[in-house]
Amino acid sequence: MSVATSPYSPSAYYIKKGELIKQGAEARVYSLPSLFPQPTIYNPSSSSSSSSSSTSAGSSNPKPNSDLKSRSQHGGVIIKHRFPKQYRHPTLDASLTASRLTFEARSLARAAKYGVVVPKVLWVDEKGGCIGLEKVDGWSVREVLGGGAEGEMEIDDDEEVELDKIDSQNALDGSGTGVERDEQGEGEIEGVNEGWEKIRALGVSQDQLMRSIGSALAQLHSTTIIHGDLTTSNMMIRLTPNSEQPFEIVLIDFGLSSTAQFPEHYAVDLYVLERAFASTHPRSEKLYAGVLEAYAQGLGPKKWKPVEIKLKEVRKRGRKRDMTG
Amino acid sequence: MTQAQASSSKKKISPLTRPTRRLLCLGIEGSANKLGVGVISHSPSPKGSITKVTVLSNVRHTYITPPGEGFLPSDTARHHRDWIVRVIEEAVRKAGVRWSDLDCIAFTKGPGMGTPLQVGALVARTLSLLHNIPLVGVNHCVGHIEMGRQITSSHNPIVLYVSGGNTQVIAYSQQRYRIFGETLDIAIGNCLDRFARVIGLRNDPSPGYNIEVEAKKGKRLVPLAYGTKGMDVSLAGILHSVETYTKDKRYKNWDDLSKLSAEGREKVDQDQDQDHNQDIITPHDLCFSLQETAFAMLVEITERAMAHVGARDVLIVGGVGCNLRLQEMMGIMASERNGRVFATDQSFCIDNGIMIAQAGLLAHRMGQTTPLEKTGVTQRYRTDAVHVSWRA
Repeated sequence: MSVATSPYSPSAYYIKKGELIKQGAEARVYSLPSLFPQPTIYNPSSSSSSSSSSTSAGSSNPKPNSDLKSRSQHGGVIIKHRFPKQYRHPTLDASLTASRLTFEARSLARAAKYGVVVPKVLWVDEKGGCIGLEKVDGWSVREVLGGGAEGEMEIDDDEEVELDKIDSQNALDGSGTGVERDEQGEGEIEGVNEGWEKIRALGVSQDQLMRSIGSALAQLHSTTIIHGDLTTSNMMIRLTPNSEQPFEIVLIDFGLSSTAQFPEHYAVDLYVLERAFASTHPRSEKLYAGVLEAYAQGLGPKKWKPVEIKLKEVRKRGRKRDMTG
Repeated sequence: MTQAQASSSKKKISPLTRPTRRLLCLGIEGSANKLGVGVISHSPSPKGSITKVTVLSNVRHTYITPPGEGFLPSDTARHHRDWIVRVIEEAVRKAGVRWSDLDCIAFTKGPGMGTPLQVGALVARTLSLLHNIPLVGVNHCVGHIEMGRQITSSHNPIVLYVSGGNTQVIAYSQQRYRIFGETLDIAIGNCLDRFARVIGLRNDPSPGYNIEVEAKKGKRLVPLAYGTKGMDVSLAGILHSVETYTKDKRYKNWDDLSKLSAEGREKVDQDQDQDHNQDIITPHDLCFSLQETAFAMLVEITERAMAHVGARDVLIVGGVGCNLRLQEMMGIMASERNGRVFATDQSFCIDNGIMIAQAGLLAHRMGQTTPLEKTGVTQRYRTDAVHVSWRA
């Protein structure tokens, strides 16, 4: 992989250390357990600590170490590297990368300031196209809802499995989730169920999940930030064991974000999500109503009214409307 | 009994049954300024379970307007009326089939321009009654997708459908072609055509092609509005901003350019280098900038959709899909993601009758026909409104 940064820049160093976890639409995403080098601790005098580690994990030392990592929420680091896109004209690419990177950093900082749950910004390297972020431990909403299209792409049209998926999504529509559970044994979509199973075990319903998405969005929009790319992939669910709510929604990927004050912009933002929802989760479309409801509540009637009117307008206009007649 | 139609996947159980004899379909397309008629055959291949698809004929006649003018619905319909009998006769003659051999007649039900669509539907109805052949109404976009899949044998790609009237990013899921992203205002082809009109490019063979040719001579990238909104694009802004440059003081139109080059020839020795540094904007530069920026937006939303659904392959269909620069950019993007790009040449990219025949025959093999009273056309017909019964 080509790293545009100078070989001595911190970003380049961490990218080399990190593990490539995803190639998103515009950036490669690397994950690091910590910003600090892995310490090798040799401490002959404290026998108690070494014995405790040996009792807990036997001979393998990394095990308790990794446990620690997943527990500590501040440890993990995500590096988003916007590598130069060869298909784009270099001038265009450079200006897009620079503006998106700064907007992402600014929006994240601004959102965090007003109490929206977003990943913390650790560092920004605008020359190298890198941004270092706090790692969010959890699952994307898409994973949890079992986004239709992805599974199919991977299974490559095995009809049997596809039918299973349809069943499971029907089940998600209603209240029963029995089928979903059965599916867990199949390995293929294990990730889907891990998240949902854990959340469900905490007594969270689909509707509750939708409502918290809605309130998270309302919170974001009341800071006048427009996300610009709301999809179910860009929302993470993080468990919060020590607080009132068993989980929280973390909005991620602010690369297309901007600030705006007109109801029009909020409405378009919501509409992008609405369409993404309908195409990714065709069978759980009606759940989306819960998102809007909570959004309206979060924003308050005074702010919601104009957005509601605009949203109806946006739905009707352009090519997006359902074309009949 | 059920046999896989496509050879590419082993596991897939296609709902299509293997034809026991040769099946023929005539497709009529006339949703915009192209009038196309084609005959396709699906026949059982001697060995194995593969259905052999053959294009027997693919005839097209395009209504070309003078530079600076677009095609109006009524004039386009008149063109179609004038030509449709000749085009159909030619297609049937080239295919070497008799009317009694045909299993179905497919026509474009929508989306498109109303009056031109009516011409195609009317002729299809007449032929159906004359020769007693069932009719199948076809969604134009689905026709593009099915033909693209057939020609390139790409199995389950993300589809970028780019034409004069449509700009959509589509993925198949559960018997529907679902639209993941699309234009929020005008289509990419419309954007290019309108700009070609502004700078006075010819409409022959197509304005988009002429822009592609002129863009190759462009060097300077002028900043234009870049509008991606999630997986959607907005193209009205870029059209407006590129049009604004034609009113810029630095802009030289074709006449100015030829004057400049005449002057330049006299003193070509002194300022050969200076030519590049001159602060002028040429129509070539604008074509170049428009293509680079607009296509970057399209590639970006395609990449977003790929990342979102986890797909690897891209299929480009529609008239703008034969633009080589777009294909090249998409290719670079796909290779960065270890994917592939499938595209076809102009005979299948640009609106044609054969794609209507292909989609129509697929539907017909699933037992779908359109009864006469439901053969009306519709200008608005969403890609995701079609039940894709022929795919698993």
